[in-house]
Amino acid sequence: MSAFFLKRALQAFVAVLGVITLIFFLQRLAGDPVLLLVPQNATQADIEAMRTSLGFDRPLAVQYFDYLSGLIMFDFGRSYVQNVPVWTLILSRLPYTLMLAGGALLVAFGVGIPLGVAMAVRRGRPEAKAMMGFVLAGQSMPTFWSAILMIIVFAVWLGWLPPSGARSWSSLIMPSIALGLLSMATFARVARTAVLDELEKDYVRTGHAKGLPMHRIVARHLLRNAAIPVVTVAALEIANLLAGAVIVETVFAWPGLGQLTVQAINARDFMLVQGVVLLGAVTAIVLNLVADLLYSIIDPRIRLEGNA
Amino acid sequence: MKTVSRPFRSFLAGIVLACSPLVLQPAQAKDQFVVDLTNEPSSLDPQKQWNPDSYYVYRNIFDNLLTRDDAGKIVPQIATEWSYRSDTEVTFKIRDDVKFHDGTPLTAKDVAFSINRIINPAFASPQLGQFNKIVSAEATGDHEVTIKTDGAYPVLLAQLVKLSIVPQQVVEAKGDDAFNAAPIGSGPYKFVSWQKGVAVALERNDDYWGEKGVFPTVEFRAVPDAATRVANLQAGTTDLAVGLDTDLAAQLESSANAKTLSVLTERIGYVKLNPNLPPFDDKRVRQAVAEAIDKQTIVDGLLGGVDKPATQMAMPAHFGYVEGIKNYDYNPEDAKKLITEAGAAGKQVGFATAPAFDQRIVQAVAQMLTNAGLKVDIEMTDMATYLKRAQSAPASQAAISFGRWSCACQDVDGVLFPLLHSSSSWASGSSPEIDKLLDEARNTLDEKVRLEAYRKVSTHVAEDVPLVPLYQAAIIYGAAKNLEWQPTANESLFLNRMKWQD
Repeated sequence: MSAFFLKRALQAFVAVLGVITLIFFLQRLAGDPVLLLVPQNATQADIEAMRTSLGFDRPLAVQYFDYLSGLIMFDFGRSYVQNVPVWTLILSRLPYTLMLAGGALLVAFGVGIPLGVAMAVRRGRPEAKAMMGFVLAGQSMPTFWSAILMIIVFAVWLGWLPPSGARSWSSLIMPSIALGLLSMATFARVARTAVLDELEKDYVRTGHAKGLPMHRIVARHLLRNAAIPVVTVAALEIANLLAGAVIVETVFAWPGLGQLTVQAINARDFMLVQGVVLLGAVTAIVLNLVADLLYSIIDPRIRLEGNA
Repeated sequence: MKTVSRPFRSFLAGIVLACSPLVLQPAQAKDQFVVDLTNEPSSLDPQKQWNPDSYYVYRNIFDNLLTRDDAGKIVPQIATEWSYRSDTEVTFKIRDDVKFHDGTPLTAKDVAFSINRIINPAFASPQLGQFNKIVSAEATGDHEVTIKTDGAYPVLLAQLVKLSIVPQQVVEAKGDDAFNAAPIGSGPYKFVSWQKGVAVALERNDDYWGEKGVFPTVEFRAVPDAATRVANLQAGTTDLAVGLDTDLAAQLESSANAKTLSVLTERIGYVKLNPNLPPFDDKRVRQAVAEAIDKQTIVDGLLGGVDKPATQMAMPAHFGYVEGIKNYDYNPEDAKKLITEAGAAGKQVGFATAPAFDQRIVQAVAQMLTNAGLKVDIEMTDMATYLKRAQSAPASQAAISFGRWSCACQDVDGVLFPLLHSSSSWASGSSPEIDKLLDEARNTLDEKVRLEAYRKVSTHVAEDVPLVPLYQAAIIYGAAKNLEWQPTANESLFLNRMKWQD
């Protein structure tokens, strides 16, 4: 077990280092943010002074090693735009991203999985076709459209929910639905396919022969076997959600990491972008590791050493 | 099932804990005034940044030495009167009844400290260029400050309108970072809290020396999407929203809860030509560009008639605006004739623009120029690349570029000097007479001399067409139906100048 983890840790380290290096140099290829920070009528002398004070006049290699040595001390740099440490900014936005991801996952999981199972079990029946239509709608609606539509209907016309912001629990409802709809469709389809595969198996027929009701067969035996592909997809979907639901966050003015990152990219706030990318890379790696561990719990036949 | 439920329970508990920021927020007070900004402020230290979202907020926390009234005239604020000892030395008398939010009195030392802080190169303020003609500031009495400038500087007062007074003792004791996180000023609103990414909360300063605000508490929220700002207004959750365009503003016309307020600002939309690149080295082609663009149609058709066509790179709100500048009339046939005559018909020209600008105007201008015979290629890049190219060596600047200029000083020196003077990186050409006129106007306090010099420069611009001033930009705010407020040309959002209609 420990050899496995050591190998994975080394792989992770190399991957993260590669991502950091790539992002660092790619961003700086296009220039620096100084022109965006100064007024329009700043003279060339003002611009050069600003450039020097922010350290952009140093050679790229020097700036890179400076950044790496900061990383070792867990110093992720300061935002050029907001003048505060990157870590503070990310930490202030992280809870909101987690909340939104959690809410969206609740919608996706809580609606998608039962829907997928029901569609598979009741295949061919009219209710399955209706559910399929619903899933298709969820998959086809562009998020920016469904988001603003929900705001108009539920906030402006009906006044049931706050239109935007992060003031209270009720502000989380619409963004979660908007973000979760697409993932719900994915989960529904994957669950349906997995369950359909399992329904063909012998143990299902045995269960019927023993007189077990369908829902008992599904819940006690079938779901666990169908879970593997769902877990794979879940790991990918969670990584997507955490990476930043930019459109939802922008339309609903939800102060998450996605919104922060896009603004940072436009403003050429290099350190902030690097911090978010680092966080994303580490998260993706950890999630994949968790998924691998889950496989072994769900299905003891899958061994971790050697063949994944 | 039993082995699954415990981790699941912990998962739920984790979610609930993570959601605690939401639960711990106080319920929205009824008499809270809510303002929707496009982005949250990047910093509340008045000297650490240069962007509108920040000064919408900190303008209410801090007082400035001088300010502008609703008509745009420079009037006293912390300074009550001023007198010129000489061309380079001005003495300001300041009020003696001003207290900072922590109770300490505002003295001449704080004024001098604020000025010296911003002109100190080590502080690296992005605003340094606005104030670097100030050589020193000294407290020459308990309530008297003397400022020395590098030569006669006629724009000094206009620039001081933007200088906020910070408390010396607090800044020195806490340090810049802590001061930025919890700013203390002397303005009509006190800082309460800043939830990063969510909102900045202010409360009324009941001990304010001047006109007190009407709203007990105010919240500035960041709402990046303009359609969401409009939805907030329609639902009544927001009382004031900035940055709406004419299409969105039209939606508010039929709203029961909201209305629009607009004002002409000091931003000027323009098209800049590069006389170093053919075909614009030929004056006939530049004249053709001026004649090919139908400014009135752009204003009426695209901008909803709120903006106004411009005759020069200045507006009535600027000092240096002169009446009677004659532009080439809109004459598309003559434009076509001139271009054919100059042999420029079918010539490919690049038109540089950036996403922050209204692309409908860029496309309209490109079409008008194509109709006149040129072949226009729109080159859209991100803002930083656009700025870099616009300030590069004249030969590598774009042939045509669209821009919107504002110096936030309401003085034409801040517009014409950077765009035309050969020492500026924005300039595409160099003309010794123009340089001389601009230098002359910048270095004298005599208003008549300045106006005459600017008349000559604007006449030259209209005649030689290094740039085509297009329109004076208006800004449109969305406001609650019963809000009474006169927006100003310098786009300052003074909360204590707003009130509810009865």
